[in-house]
Amino acid sequence: MNAIDTAIRAAAASITVKDLTKAYDPQTVVIPPMDVELKAGEFTVVLGPSGCGKSTLLQMIAGLERVSSGKILIGTREVQDLEPKHRGCAMVFQNYALYPHMTVFENMAYSLKVSGAPKAERAERVAAVARMLGLADYLHRKPGQLSGGQRQRVAIGRAIVREPAVLLFDEPLSNLDAQLRHDMRVELADLHRRIGATTVFVTHDQVEAMTLADRILILNKGRIEQFDTPKAIYHNPASVFVAKFIGAPPMNILAVTGDGAALRLADGQVVANAPLTGAYQLGIRPEDIVVDGKANGHVVRAALRFREDLGSHSVLAADLGGSTVRIATPFGADIADRLELDLNFPTSRLHLFDAATGRAIPGAFGAQ
Amino acid sequence: MIENARSLNIAASVILLAGMLYILGPLYLTLATASQSYEFLLRNGLAWYPGDQFFNNAARIFTETRIPIQMLNSLAVAFSLAIATCILSFLSAYAIVYFRIRWAGVAFALILATIMLPVDIRVITTYQVASNVFSPVNALLDVTGLNGLIAKAFGAPVQLELSVLNTHFGLIAPLVAHGTGTFLFRQFFLTLPKDLFKAARMDGAGPVRFMFDILLPLSRTSFAALFVLTFLSGWTQYLWPLVASSTPDMQTAVVGLARLLPDSDGEVPDFPMIMAGAVIVSLVPLLMIALLQRYLVQGLVLSEK
Repeated sequence: MNAIDTAIRAAAASITVKDLTKAYDPQTVVIPPMDVELKAGEFTVVLGPSGCGKSTLLQMIAGLERVSSGKILIGTREVQDLEPKHRGCAMVFQNYALYPHMTVFENMAYSLKVSGAPKAERAERVAAVARMLGLADYLHRKPGQLSGGQRQRVAIGRAIVREPAVLLFDEPLSNLDAQLRHDMRVELADLHRRIGATTVFVTHDQVEAMTLADRILILNKGRIEQFDTPKAIYHNPASVFVAKFIGAPPMNILAVTGDGAALRLADGQVVANAPLTGAYQLGIRPEDIVVDGKANGHVVRAALRFREDLGSHSVLAADLGGSTVRIATPFGADIADRLELDLNFPTSRLHLFDAATGRAIPGAFGAQ
Repeated sequence: MIENARSLNIAASVILLAGMLYILGPLYLTLATASQSYEFLLRNGLAWYPGDQFFNNAARIFTETRIPIQMLNSLAVAFSLAIATCILSFLSAYAIVYFRIRWAGVAFALILATIMLPVDIRVITTYQVASNVFSPVNALLDVTGLNGLIAKAFGAPVQLELSVLNTHFGLIAPLVAHGTGTFLFRQFFLTLPKDLFKAARMDGAGPVRFMFDILLPLSRTSFAALFVLTFLSGWTQYLWPLVASSTPDMQTAVVGLARLLPDSDGEVPDFPMIMAGAVIVSLVPLLMIALLQRYLVQGLVLSEK
């Protein structure tokens, strides 16, 4: 651990968002009132489909977008009316946004130069960050002479050289190819463990969210669907939206009706016992469905439509009462030529959602 | 389309040759005439081959005509025009691309519309305004009836008058209003990464700092291209300098060249000297292109570096 790590860890501050709204005009509300608190030093991933307001939220924290109403606190300081440079945030952009005519050194030192830091201090701090990011040999190159991953690292270096209270990432990995994205993900996780900066990372990629985040904030049309650890989000999704958004393939959602004693599918097959009446949505993860085997749940019959062999496992698609169910099975399971499948839905693995609101109904099948 | 037929190659070569003759023929005649003496011209008519009198003719341009001082005028006009156009275009494009302005689209459309209104079309109106830059103000006061009120209160209506005819400013200003440069810079700015402005803001640089530290250095080649283009167009302007300047000492070199033709009929013009003048006047733009042609091409292809 060197000086810059300690400095950033010390600078890390919490972010508190109170009654924050954003609307371009009364008709186009991007973010309805939002309240959320991100802890100091925490790595928060803001996840959602495009157009859900995640980038807007990030830019409002950064100060690049005006807030329509509400407050943003960094630490204990209200910042919503401050210029970006007074907020103590630094940002890494999707397309790096490096200054093409400046060398790597000049790029990283630019913010220090603007803030009037003496030359010697600039050189020292850039050198420390460059060492940390493995950029020491490239300081005299221009961004055009660097590879995608190196440019990404310069962008990160430019952000952390100021020892920001908050580090913001706006889909920084989406321009990289798959292999590099994986490497950068590991690097980012490692970097965060070392410097401990409060980090807000916007992405639409659930793998990035699951692997990087301390907590994931899932946004849908500007509303917080769920804000929890990756594990909790995966195992206890708070809504149908979250259930379908996380997981590959996503959770199966089936329309069911309760008759007071059991939940039935559209074709009348019973999938679970529960003293419920009315319409519900039932969720089960593809990997939780047991094919042919013994499990503590009801067995339903489904028609196999096709299978995809992915090496590590196979994904079956089956027709169940008019809707498609995806099942993840171990690779090479002996079900190749059969048309009918017996699917066991373990009751403990079922999730129940309100049919109208899509919100989860916890404890519907006893303790989970 | 790359064809490799022999007949096509021959046809293409013939067309190319014809085009070269079309362009180089007059140029050759200019140079040939410029190097013959006036007496040779009187005796033989058109000069089909070069002679040895070029430096003689060139020296006469400097001693017998006002071309040298007019070249200085041209230089002042072309240079100021290029500088003013560059600055104005850069600033307007910066405003249009990087700031959320309510009517930016309309403003840009209006700026582009000036491309369709060169001086040649609006020369009469432009002349009227140049002869009294306050004439629009006067007209406005008359139309709104304000002048009537002023006349009642002070005894006389307001009639402001200031002519910029026959001044360098008058020669330059009407030519600056041209949208090509704004368009050029706008297109260039749009090729830059969109987040550059935001990144600079995060780094603590305001709009002015961003302009000087980032946008300006990146726009170097566009500046050079626009500078050369405007300089050339300023140097070769004919119509506006002709009407806007009335004394020989205020005229530009291109106008001065045309004025070397005798006013009376029947006299044979001193073509060798005029052609030598044409060669001398062409040297400056030629030099300009030779020095800056690299930037000219780079700036016009608008490639992202």
